[in-house]
Amino acid sequence: MKRQSLSYFVALPALLLALSAQAHDPKEHMKEAQAPDCAAMKDMDHSKMDMKDPVMQAMMKKCMKAMHKDEAESHEAHGDKGQTDHGNHDEKADEKKPAKHQH
Amino acid sequence: MTSFKFLSCFKCLAVAAGVAAVTGVGFLYSGLYPMGADDHHNDLTYWALETLRERSIARASNDIEVPTDLNSSERLLTGGADYNDMCTGCHLKPGKTESDFTLGLYPAPPNLTLTGDRHGHEHAGDTDNDDEAIKRQFWIIKHGIKASGMPAWGPGHDDQRIWNMVAFLQRLPELSPQQYQILTARGADDAGHH
Repeated sequence: MKRQSLSYFVALPALLLALSAQAHDPKEHMKEAQAPDCAAMKDMDHSKMDMKDPVMQAMMKKCMKAMHKDEAESHEAHGDKGQTDHGNHDEKADEKKPAKHQH
Repeated sequence: MTSFKFLSCFKCLAVAAGVAAVTGVGFLYSGLYPMGADDHHNDLTYWALETLRERSIARASNDIEVPTDLNSSERLLTGGADYNDMCTGCHLKPGKTESDFTLGLYPAPPNLTLTGDRHGHEHAGDTDNDDEAIKRQFWIIKHGIKASGMPAWGPGHDDQRIWNMVAFLQRLPELSPQQYQILTARGADDAGHH
């Protein structure tokens, strides 16, 4: 009897968890997400591009977003590098500084 | 005399109907009908099933209201990413002409990178842009089709998300592989615009 009620305790939460995971969440695909290949836009025939076309607007939105993200990342990386360099510089400066309290 | 004739005719019809019913049930239980997807229906069965499917969908989708902003860039972006995740295995993408599913499923799923009249589904509308075709697409994505391999996406996806996919389908046949890639790619921080 105890074993049976224990199996209900295990089976019910497992069933609820399985049911809650049925809906397709876009975040599921984030791991294998591809970045938009915005460089391909350069090779497209610009004379045939209609900026009022929703397809073109959607592509521009997607690529602007990707571009801003790249820029932000490069700034961040630059900032980190700068900080690291700055830190190294300070360490080196400290090394060069004569210890005031050396005897 | 006339009533006697009518009675015998009625008896005749009843016997014929009984024989037909028994034969039909016998055929069902005999296991003689080939069920393999690689063994196609005869023309009569195909016509009957297709007519049943199309009439049912047309009736059921008749009262659906099509959103007025279907041709918006936001809908294309959201619907495109979902189409790429959920549909390309069977309905393909620009630059692809077949997959294991298109080769193996029967009836073969339509190639949605082609317009309705080009992928052999004239009932879907000549241009894929008329209201009937749009309502039909929405209904099929939401409810699926029995015994065809097409699942019902309604239980896990709200109507707006399905309309986004329908919006994307209207433009899919004219997209190049490069345009398709850009529109459907989920960037690292793109959670599907929800």
